[in-house]
Amino acid sequence: MSSILRLRGLEVHFPVRGGFGDTLLRRARLVVRAVDGIDLDLVRGEVLALVGESGSGKTTTGRVIVKLTRQTAGTVEFEGEDVSNLWSGPALRGFRRRVQLIFQDPYETLNPKQTIFDFVAEPLVVHGLGTDRERSTKVLAALDAAGLRPAAEYALRYPHELSGGQRQRVVIAGALVMDPDLIVADEPVSMLDVSIRTELLHLMLDLRKERGLTYLFITHDLSLAWVIADRIAVMYLGKIMEIGPAEAVIRSPRNPYTQALVSVSPSPDPPTQGERARRTILEGETPDAAHIPSGCRFHPRCPVAFDRCRVEAPPLFDVGGGQAAACWLAEPGGAGTVERAAPTAEG
Amino acid sequence: MTEVTAPPRDGRGRLLPRESDPTAPMLQVTDLAVRFKLAKGSLKAVDGVSFRLDEGQALGIAGESGCGKTTTALSLVRLLPANGRIRAGRVDLYGIDLVANDESQMRRYRWREISIVFQGAMNALNPVQRVRDQIAEPIEIRLGKSQTAARARAVELLDLVGIPKQRGLVYPHELSGGMRQRAMIAMALACDPKILIGDEPTTALDVMVQAQILQLVEGLRAELGLSLILITHDLSVIAETCDDVLVMYAGRAMEQGPVSRVFTRPRHPYTQALIRAYPNIRADRRTLEVIPGQLPDLRNPPPGCRFASRCPHVMDVCRTLTPPEVRFDDGVTAACHLYGTVSGDGSLASDPGAVADGAIGAASGPSAPAATADDDAAYGDGIEDEDRSPGEPRSADSLAGDQSRMIDRAAHTIVDERQHGDPEQRA
Repeated sequence: MSSILRLRGLEVHFPVRGGFGDTLLRRARLVVRAVDGIDLDLVRGEVLALVGESGSGKTTTGRVIVKLTRQTAGTVEFEGEDVSNLWSGPALRGFRRRVQLIFQDPYETLNPKQTIFDFVAEPLVVHGLGTDRERSTKVLAALDAAGLRPAAEYALRYPHELSGGQRQRVVIAGALVMDPDLIVADEPVSMLDVSIRTELLHLMLDLRKERGLTYLFITHDLSLAWVIADRIAVMYLGKIMEIGPAEAVIRSPRNPYTQALVSVSPSPDPPTQGERARRTILEGETPDAAHIPSGCRFHPRCPVAFDRCRVEAPPLFDVGGGQAAACWLAEPGGAGTVERAAPTAEG
Repeated sequence: MTEVTAPPRDGRGRLLPRESDPTAPMLQVTDLAVRFKLAKGSLKAVDGVSFRLDEGQALGIAGESGCGKTTTALSLVRLLPANGRIRAGRVDLYGIDLVANDESQMRRYRWREISIVFQGAMNALNPVQRVRDQIAEPIEIRLGKSQTAARARAVELLDLVGIPKQRGLVYPHELSGGMRQRAMIAMALACDPKILIGDEPTTALDVMVQAQILQLVEGLRAELGLSLILITHDLSVIAETCDDVLVMYAGRAMEQGPVSRVFTRPRHPYTQALIRAYPNIRADRRTLEVIPGQLPDLRNPPPGCRFASRCPHVMDVCRTLTPPEVRFDDGVTAACHLYGTVSGDGSLASDPGAVADGAIGAASGPSAPAATADDDAAYGDGIEDEDRSPGEPRSADSLAGDQSRMIDRAAHTIVDERQHGDPEQRA
């Protein structure tokens, strides 16, 4: 399998600006460890869902990949080339043609004073691609591909004339116009209604089929990951806790955090008594990323933590079938297995 | 109103407003119609919605944006925006018609009988006032308590929703989203209401925090005997927390009944489509179905069923006549011509004996004549179907065979879907 994107030991640490008093008292500066050492491979043509709660570092990871945030350590490889230190020049522009970002909020992404045509054409202009006529052909083709038909009619409109779903289609068209290989989509549908959301997910999957796109789909919603992703990576406090095929991660999660998340992810099937009983509602809140607990960062909230978890952080253990979990209980031949019945479909 | 020496009390012994009738349903909404005045014309946001809420019951109102669910909720407490007006219908709280009341009277019921946790509540807190003091304020003002007593009560309420005493002394920005939502719930409980309305109470929260808040609400319901109306687009939240569900589309009620029936065996094509468009982590199905088409323009809604233009089972009659609400034996009602006027077809109701206790029925009690008679041919309740619109061209008998075939198909679509899954999508 060829990786289109490879992250190794990626870290993003943000120093917290202390107050004047802190400086006077020479207090140690706090560091927010938003992303704290992750390895991730994206296979060409796949949809990988990066799932996590707020503060898990999923958005920061996406921003590093599209070169909007600088990593503090680690490497980013794209198509076998190290792009970690690519921060300017024609090479960066070349990279950006191939990797596009779709944000959550189409209302904020679009410029209210710009027509749809100008918005979609902007990257072509910035990159100096094509003549006016070629650009206009490309823009109309992108709008058409994003399902805004007839494209010529939508092209001359302004964002306020469009619905939320149509706006997000425009954002997708803006990403498509560069004919990218990889699209990082950060909560692309979470602002939209159910029926519109479904249309957009279908659009994204169709585009993958037609153009061989690869998606990094960032979301907080495990149910959404379940329906769109080939593989799911679950993040907690800047680390990947579990990764694997969607089926494995949802149906037989090996990390207690994933198990808890799956158990509380609601579904339109009214829960049975058994499901209610199996539910693990974690207490408290995710600690802030400036004060990451020792050992396994999940141990203070983990229902099955033991001594080792408090002092030593578990690496991602391969548990077979392409699934890996960062938990001592998943260690091959280790302390044992968390054979808690995973929530299943029958019930 | 009769002179009574002892004030009326509800089933749990709680005091009721003096003018109430303790034998009347807790909350009965009948043919509610709400219009919003626009620059051009008016928007029929809610158009003939009826439901009932009993003591201790939890009702979920589901639907997509623009279906009128928030408008319905705001109508119950009469907090509609300035351009919104209740055009017809009744909202009866223990027999007191809240729609007929003027604002000063309404104030006696709002927060004390019915309170509401708003959408985007996390931004509804006053940023420059301590959380505890914000909660104490309504207790001081509404219930006339002293500041000390009100603050003591506020601390109790914070404790009830799981905020430690010291955290009550902070300002809202120092609290996390989940904690702020807890504070909003504490505030809504300040005057000891009987009905709590939550308008998308967990929408912006993380899934674990959402689970915590829902657990809290469930606990409060049991502990305080609260009745709950949960407004959300999130079907799964309703499946988790509610006894009954009302599915709305374009201002009308499409289907209502016990959650366990409606979500496992939806009758209305809209409910079916909505559920199939909804990601379900417990199902093997990993495809989502698109609901083609768009919401009708509510300034000038088409005649007949509002869902007709998007419905896979659409018939000619759907485009002309508003469908009656058909009641099935298991307590579900659906407003759909597929079921004609047949009441409780044997092939439909797998469990004919079980009519849910808290059945929310449009038809209990005399149905008010169509509230929307000005623009619709009929908005009958259709359950007893004797007093239905004379314009109804079809008879139940002639259609029975046809109907049950269609019904069978409709009712089993989802089951089939789940069994087969869709392996292709993964390719």
